[in-house]
Amino acid sequence: MKAEFSPYLRSIAAGLKELIVELSQYFDYVSVLSTDSVGFSMAASPRVKSITGNTLMTERGNVVRVYKNGLYSEYSFNLFDPDKVKETADKIRKILDAQISLLEQTGSQVYTTKMLEDEPQELFVEMETDSLPETTDLAKLMEKLISFSSEGMSLSEEIVDCNVRAQSTHVCKMFLTKNKDLRQSYIYSEGGISMTGVRGEKMDYSHNGVSDREGPHIFDFLGETIQKTFKELNDNLGSERIEPGEYDIITTPEVSGLIAHEAFGHGVEMDMFVKKRALGASYIDKRVGSDKVTMHEGAKCVKDVASYAFDDEGTLAGDVIEIDKGILKTGVCDALAALRLGCEPTGNGKRQNFEHKAYTRMTNTMFDPGEYTKEEMIASVKKGYLLSGMFSGMEDPKHWGIQCIIARGYEIIDGKLTGKVVSPVVLTGYVPDLLGSITMASKDYVSFGNGACGKGYKEWVKVSDGGPYLKARARLG
Amino acid sequence: MTDKIIELLKASGATAYEVSDTVTEGWEFYFIGHKLDQNRVRDVEHINVTVYKALEDGKFLGSASDEIAPTATEAEAKKIIEDLLDRATFVKNAYFELNKENTQIENKDYDVEKMARDYIEALQQIPETSTEDINSYEIFAEKCTKRYVNSEGIDVTFTYPSSQVEVVVNARKDDHEIELYRMYKAGSCDKDYIVKELTDTLRFGKDRLVATPTPALKKATVLFSTNDATTLFQYFGAKLMASLKYRGLSNWEIGKEIAEGVAGDKITMKAVKELPNSSANRPVDSQGAVIRDMYLLKDNVPENFWGDVQFRYYLGIKDSFIAGNFAVDGGSSTEAELRCGTYLEPVEFSDFSVDPITGDIAGEIRLAYYHDGDKVTPVTGGSVSGSLPELLKNMKLSKEQTQYDCNLIPSVIKIENVTIAGAE
Repeated sequence: MKAEFSPYLRSIAAGLKELIVELSQYFDYVSVLSTDSVGFSMAASPRVKSITGNTLMTERGNVVRVYKNGLYSEYSFNLFDPDKVKETADKIRKILDAQISLLEQTGSQVYTTKMLEDEPQELFVEMETDSLPETTDLAKLMEKLISFSSEGMSLSEEIVDCNVRAQSTHVCKMFLTKNKDLRQSYIYSEGGISMTGVRGEKMDYSHNGVSDREGPHIFDFLGETIQKTFKELNDNLGSERIEPGEYDIITTPEVSGLIAHEAFGHGVEMDMFVKKRALGASYIDKRVGSDKVTMHEGAKCVKDVASYAFDDEGTLAGDVIEIDKGILKTGVCDALAALRLGCEPTGNGKRQNFEHKAYTRMTNTMFDPGEYTKEEMIASVKKGYLLSGMFSGMEDPKHWGIQCIIARGYEIIDGKLTGKVVSPVVLTGYVPDLLGSITMASKDYVSFGNGACGKGYKEWVKVSDGGPYLKARARLG
Repeated sequence: MTDKIIELLKASGATAYEVSDTVTEGWEFYFIGHKLDQNRVRDVEHINVTVYKALEDGKFLGSASDEIAPTATEAEAKKIIEDLLDRATFVKNAYFELNKENTQIENKDYDVEKMARDYIEALQQIPETSTEDINSYEIFAEKCTKRYVNSEGIDVTFTYPSSQVEVVVNARKDDHEIELYRMYKAGSCDKDYIVKELTDTLRFGKDRLVATPTPALKKATVLFSTNDATTLFQYFGAKLMASLKYRGLSNWEIGKEIAEGVAGDKITMKAVKELPNSSANRPVDSQGAVIRDMYLLKDNVPENFWGDVQFRYYLGIKDSFIAGNFAVDGGSSTEAELRCGTYLEPVEFSDFSVDPITGDIAGEIRLAYYHDGDKVTPVTGGSVSGSLPELLKNMKLSKEQTQYDCNLIPSVIKIENVTIAGAE
């Protein structure tokens, strides 16, 4: 079936087009992004159940972007009455004028930018889905989550909590200018199991998830992660601390994705080039990794939670090869950064929601697969670790430092897993050194979309990342 | 719209309900260098509704929540409430009661334009040089008016300011340039604080340029003296959350010391109603409970759990609330006394984190000072890691305190035996 476009957005489209005409009397460029996204988020643990209609991407509101005298200004609002277009336009103009007045009083100058082009364009996309959050039998789904939670709890008396969560969002967005009318509707869903256990004085946990640009039917597959999650919890509870040092590592596709995201995800968001905050700007067409490293980024490069038809500035989705056999080719770019840098936008202008500014953001960031099997890669390691599961990551695009906090490492000695587990593992290093040390990639190619990504410590958006198993050398602590 | 929603809820057959309506006026300014990249206004209203339904003769209480758009028609709002009532029937939780105590609140008004102006002027006062300067900054100033109503008689409206500024600082030497990242949150702008903090940051930037790789110390005494220290205490706050306790994710118990064999200072932590200019100052929490000063942990012994009314009810803790401000008492030594011997003082991490479940700490070092007697060496790279449940046995706190937004903590925390992965 198709994910039907929002009737609410249809109902206000004419009024918003009138608003654009009204504001165009005063501003040189006007666009409106309107959103109406609904969904649910539910969770079940042995002692607590919950359900809400809110997810990271549920929202209903509008953001107007206007341009005058080299400056872009925005007004985010969610009280729009199509019968009061003139009043709304007056209100927007007056409050933005008040801001300009403050800037003049404080002697602030404008970072002058060219005006966006407004070529005629129409797009109407209702993506295919097997199921919709609006019509899902939530009572049955809750029963399913409860049964998964109970199954998890039954695996060991050491388990103190097994929390199963599921959320699904029907995203509807409409981007309008004088000449553009773009509308899209799609579903994305994600779910996960978190298991917490206690052994003696030690408390630890593990988690696994499912995600896709699909409807709530993907939660049927959550049950398949219960045993894996239990095994990993057991591994963590029996783990030791790692001896700090430099080791050969094999990264699971999930950890490979974390490295992709932190290494050359944030590092080539080109609004950072405008601010001269990214070393990558001076490394285009230069080597930043071994010839085993090819990396794609874009809403079209895989199908997962960040796979849309157009971004929050009305640029169509793309698929960019950022690194080609170790050579940095390009970054990803929002529309305003593209104007400032004199390049084309790549469909990566994203907002946390209509209330937030658009920045260059990642969508799906993936290492290309290679030619080896996981087993061949493990067999090639004299002394090192197979790194599995992720907690968090952070990058430093200016200095190319990287930090990844990884759930656990499985010791490898003489090409074999010894059964010893270390946890957690802090991977740090210099990005070109880390990518330059990659010598093997597996044939696997898996994306993970359970996380959210911030810019600095705010602006949370959905992203996915992944790739194959990789062999590299890294500093672990 | 809120009054209409309340009418619909009263007529809906719900056992109980909660409504919160938050109106936000926000001004935002984004600068590249000191040039304006973009200005923005947020003018939004969010109405959230939670519906409760008694199940199986009141043995259980189901609940479901959703946002109702302020543009929703009466028919749309009614449909959402009906759906919530249906959903509540299969979200079967043990019975609990909502907060009941209403309170009178004196409201003040706040000037968003003045808040934004103060931030712009503060950033213009930073003593930049040709080698240390501001790369970019983002200013967020907002005034929020919140009304909270529940079926048990609470109906309160209060206004509060909230602001933050994100600043990126550059330092350079020859062709080498580095950046430092800062995010300051507060009620409104404290100009003097911002100028002092960013002036210190310029100095850190200069030192990072000449930093040498962090030595492979393996184990070291670490001294925390920046905002990252608040992260250490967030672990204690998390373990005292009623929801974590109820779900078995905290094994801390009221009256029982949290660790044995403690040789350092013991922790005393309070939830406090107000801290000067904190972004978390509120008269009541998000569920209408009156906020006051309350001991959470006294000399390493839990006194109270805090958090959602649902989980507090299950734990039998009635007179508590969702805390926003936290204060940790100072320790037994002065800052000067703690600054002795050999120790590593990280002042910049990529991201310093403490896992609320395991207590594992981790962070890549962007800049630290390695103190060896009178010799101080700036170092960079490598990481700090360890287990806080173990490390807290040898934790020393300064008598002096410092406030970081909603956290008042000892200005210096010294911990022995922390794992250091060097970068040499």
